[in-house]
Amino acid sequence: MINSRWMLFLLVLFSAATAALSADAQVVGAPQPWEWYFRTAATPVQVDLIWFHDLIFWVEVAIVLFVLGLMAYIVVKFNAKANPVPSRTTHNTFLEVAWTVIPVLILVVIAIPSLRLLFFMDKAKNPEMTLKITSHQWYWSYEYTDSGIAFDSNMIPEDQLKPGQLRLLDVDNRVVLPADTEIRLLMTSEDVIHNWAVQSFGVRMDTVPGRINESWMIVPADKIGTYYGQCSELCGVNHAYMPIAVDIVSKRDFQSWLAQAKTKFGRLDADAPVKLVQAETQPSLDAR
Amino acid sequence: MATQAQKTHPYHLSEPSALPLFGSIAVLVTAVGAVVFMHTGFYLGLVAGFVLLILMFIAWWRLVISEANNGVDHTEVVKTGLRIGMLLFIASEVMFFFAFFWGWFHSSLPILNNVAGMWPNNDIEPMGASGIPMVNTLILLTSSVTVTVAHHALVEGDRKTATNWTGITAVLGVIFLIIQAYEYWHLVNHQFGLKDGIYPSTFYLATGFHGFHVLVGTTFLIVCYFRLRAGHFTPSAHIGFEAAAWYWHFVDVVWLFLYINVYWWGSSAFGHLKPLVQ
Amino acid sequence: MADTHAHAHGHNDHADHGHHPTGWRRWMYSTNHKDIGTLYLVLAIVASFVGVGFSMMMRLELAEPGLQFIRDQHFYNVLLTAHGLIMVFFVVMPALIGGFGNWFIPLMIGCPDMAFPRMNNISFWLTAVGLILVATSTVIGGGAGTGWTVYPPLSNHTFHPGMSVDFAILSLHVAGAASILGAINFITTIVNMRAPGMTFHRMPLFIWSMLVTAFLLLLALPVLAGALTMLLTDRNFGTAFFEPSGGGDPIFWQHLFWFFGHPEVYIMIIPAFGIVSQVVSTFSKKPVFGYLGMAYAMVSIGFVGFVVWAHHMFTVGFNVETRAYFIIATMIIAVPTGIKIFSWLATMWGGSIEFKTPMLYAMGFIFLFVVGGVTGVTLSNAPVDMAFHDTYFVIAHFHYVLSIAAMYAIFTGMYYWLPKMSGRMYNEKLGQWQFWITFVGVNVLFFPQHFLGMAGMPRRIADYPDAFAGWNMVSSGGAVISLVGALLFFYILWDTLRNGAKAPANPWGVGANTLEWTVDSPAPFHTHEVLPVITAEPAGSHH
Ligand code: HEA
Ligand code: HEA
Ligand code: CUA
Ligand SMILES: [Cu+2]
Repeated sequence: MINSRWMLFLLVLFSAATAALSADAQVVGAPQPWEWYFRTAATPVQVDLIWFHDLIFWVEVAIVLFVLGLMAYIVVKFNAKANPVPSRTTHNTFLEVAWTVIPVLILVVIAIPSLRLLFFMDKAKNPEMTLKITSHQWYWSYEYTDSGIAFDSNMIPEDQLKPGQLRLLDVDNRVVLPADTEIRLLMTSEDVIHNWAVQSFGVRMDTVPGRINESWMIVPADKIGTYYGQCSELCGVNHAYMPIAVDIVSKRDFQSWLAQAKTKFGRLDADAPVKLVQAETQPSLDAR
Repeated sequence: MATQAQKTHPYHLSEPSALPLFGSIAVLVTAVGAVVFMHTGFYLGLVAGFVLLILMFIAWWRLVISEANNGVDHTEVVKTGLRIGMLLFIASEVMFFFAFFWGWFHSSLPILNNVAGMWPNNDIEPMGASGIPMVNTLILLTSSVTVTVAHHALVEGDRKTATNWTGITAVLGVIFLIIQAYEYWHLVNHQFGLKDGIYPSTFYLATGFHGFHVLVGTTFLIVCYFRLRAGHFTPSAHIGFEAAAWYWHFVDVVWLFLYINVYWWGSSAFGHLKPLVQ
Repeated sequence: MADTHAHAHGHNDHADHGHHPTGWRRWMYSTNHKDIGTLYLVLAIVASFVGVGFSMMMRLELAEPGLQFIRDQHFYNVLLTAHGLIMVFFVVMPALIGGFGNWFIPLMIGCPDMAFPRMNNISFWLTAVGLILVATSTVIGGGAGTGWTVYPPLSNHTFHPGMSVDFAILSLHVAGAASILGAINFITTIVNMRAPGMTFHRMPLFIWSMLVTAFLLLLALPVLAGALTMLLTDRNFGTAFFEPSGGGDPIFWQHLFWFFGHPEVYIMIIPAFGIVSQVVSTFSKKPVFGYLGMAYAMVSIGFVGFVVWAHHMFTVGFNVETRAYFIIATMIIAVPTGIKIFSWLATMWGGSIEFKTPMLYAMGFIFLFVVGGVTGVTLSNAPVDMAFHDTYFVIAHFHYVLSIAAMYAIFTGMYYWLPKMSGRMYNEKLGQWQFWITFVGVNVLFFPQHFLGMAGMPRRIADYPDAFAGWNMVSSGGAVISLVGALLFFYILWDTLRNGAKAPANPWGVGANTLEWTVDSPAPFHTHEVLPVITAEPAGSHH
């Protein structure tokens, strides 16, 4: 009796460990317990973003510590006991100029890399393929406009999770995308506003009905793996239940996936790509 | 409260009043009535709310008028305060219209809104600038002059002229409203209704709220007309009239913006935007 | 600031003018700025029970992954919407502006009451109507699960067909009208009714803060009113302002909302700046350092605050140039805000500081506002906002500036002015305890939310991936500690009113030299009926 319970325990432990290990090998972009920093960066945009964030972060830590330090000094030196007679100083031109000009300079130092990164992350320069993302209450649909594949992606409900799958993050049909490929992302929505956000890619874009928004990503081959994201704009009751899961695979694997997918998902309905081309050039009322 | 003899400051402290509470209840009834009306079509609550609100306004303004006339409460300082208050109120009204003009430009200029490849939407024939709107522009411009004439007469102590020209201004306001009502009737029957998309939405709400302000301004002028007749205003004390005149000018300026942007530019320039859609 | 030179004093202000209203009429029909101020404070406290209660339910739900007690996520969305709306419109604004503004504008500028006392009263009652309507919206019609930002299409008729959103819209309409009327009253009072000799540059900084706030209210709220009207007609009368199918655009709502919404956040923090300035100067026994810079910093924050709104919309798909502009414009606000921070520090510098509870709160405000402010600067960089928008990092940012800084300012003002308002002293020891409990509580509550945001946890979800469990648990623990702090505050309040020692006219000593400390405590029903004459420069502005 006792033995069998121990056996069971070990079995659970073992399967948990293998799940965790195998997860380690593939899953790159999922949140980790007690995480207090960014997830792994998979795209150059996210790499730069983290670098830039760290720059601001340390500047701001310095500011906060500076203020804290001044306050500590004040508490020690200028409490009523230590300093019974208050001064009457109320002006010091040098100081007043300093605490106006120095923040300006700090902000300039922040603004320059900020704007550079902004322009860099804006749009794909030479997109090699396009993924069209459409949001619905409460799932995503994806169209590979170059190869004409389209499918929906739904969250796997809790009671159907297989071991190793992540609650609230895993989906029935993951998006599969090739590494080393500059991918243009086009997004829109069928109903309310949602937001397609995958942290490791540095992509976070509202999907707005009536509009087509654009973003882009490229994942180098050494970052092959699975990346998770969640809908990030309140979209109604199941806002928490429309995750995003992306498999980044090698170009070769992608080709074989494509071949499979074409039979699995079938082709787009005929008019869809036309709709898209029109929408890109000039979104108009008819495009909806 | 300090009686007059004891009063040691130039301010007007009101006695406690039931009107604010009454008015707020009226607002509550109106709001609940409005929601119920919009969802069920049952309109009596809404009507009751409006009736209560109107009662509140009548009682409140009567009270203010009696204070203005008692010769004690409205000192110079108090009058300055009332002027400042009126100007601030008009400033807030300007910001209210700002929202609707923003809506107009947001939905018509492709630069602000990549949805609007086509304007007006759905091949709607926009309201032109000539004809009715032109007539109404002339009416409002004229009324701006007449109210100024009345004001000058009042300052110069010519009560009779002031009364007459105030009356004329109010009549012009009424005519404007009648013509606008006709314009709406015509548009709804021949060109576009409120539900026909974004162009009618912006058009009707912007011009409609302006029309409502004309109604308020006209009411204000009518009150002033009767107060003039009753001899409430003197060359030096006529805050009520001044406020009505300011309000009227404000309504006038809003109209000029509407006329230039919505009627004129909206019907000519946007014609050329249409081909942008392909 | 503005010392009075013995022309008028408290003893003139005894309440001997025969009849002043008593009983329920005194409160229902009030045209007295102090009574109306008290009513606003009571309303804020009542609303805070609901707002805090809802937030505790949210934290309870979020304490662990999975659903604890919420079946239907819509209910969670309703909770967070009501929490946001109530806290913003019915706790912070009524307390800081309606409460302290009404009480202390006339007292501090030396006039007997507000410019339009009856209008003052209807401002209050309309706020109460707004509260009733927002409460109705949560219980009738299924509740509004739209977030306090009420973005269409989610908030339109298709996705929220019930009455709730309409109630919420009208609630904001009414509360907005109340605020506009209040703003007209405040500005007129400050411009027109300052005591003889009190020039603009002799006004206490709290009065400056109220003046700037009132202008923000006056110009920002009508835009919200316009937006709400359009949403209402979209929902009920078939217009298409925000309907793509009719040629409208949901993004237009966001423009209007944030054109109001960003000034709104300064509406909630500038009064706090004013209160903190008074308190820092009082307890340092020093005049405010750089008075003019302080005043005009608030003015410039107000101005710039109107042209930065789209930093809430970095992810809606603007072109880069637009985002570049809003990055720069937003960051500029850090400069005048920095002037304020450093001027407060310089005011304390060389002072002879007594760390009474209000001063503790003021210093807590300064430090924690800087923490929340710098994360605002992080967010203002659109590229980094790509990582943080709609995550808990934003929640952490704005609770630092709102639920910590603005709330600290409410506590600062309550402790500082309670003797004046009630005539009784609070228990200093309990006050200090309350400060430290709250300090620990809110930091444990909101600091870990930065981590959650960095790891990518979206906001507005009732259930989250298991990996986020740890910090959420900590955060919920912090909520419990904060709740203890809040309850202790209400105990202190009750204890003061019942058992507090009698407060002298000026309990704070030489540092407290604004006019409200020249009248008795509690401030008599009528004050400054004989106008004080101001002869001194605002202490310390030797320009
Ligand atoms: C009291 C309320 C308040 C205040 C004061 C602020 C202040 C600021 N806020 Fe915040 N904010 C909110 C309330 C507030 N905010 C709310 C409620 C939201 C979310 C709304 C929602 O979506 O629901 C929000 C969201 C929000 C966003 C959008 C985030 C997103 O949704 O993606 C951004 C982005 O720019 C932002 C920026 C700022 C900035 C730059 C300031 C600045 O004013 C801060 C300036 C202060 C300092 C910088 C510290 C002191 C300065 C110094 C010590 C000088 C030296 C400093 C430097 C050189 C950096 N805020
Ligand atoms: C001033 C505004 C304010 C305040 C005080 C608070 C207080 C708190 N808030 Fe928040 N909150 C918002 C404004 C505020 N909040 C807004 C605008 C949102 C966004 C909603 C949306 O997404 O649409 C939000 C959202 C929000 C969320 C995110 C929900 C989600 O996205 O899923 C969470 C989660 O933890 C949270 C928690 C809390 C907690 C635990 C408190 C605790 O209550 C803090 C502890 C503090 C106290 C217990 C003391 C309170 C005392 C007073 C306020 C003064 C009382 C008055 C007098 C003495 C006169 N709040
Ligand atoms: Cu889809 Cu949130
Ligand atoms: Cu903002």
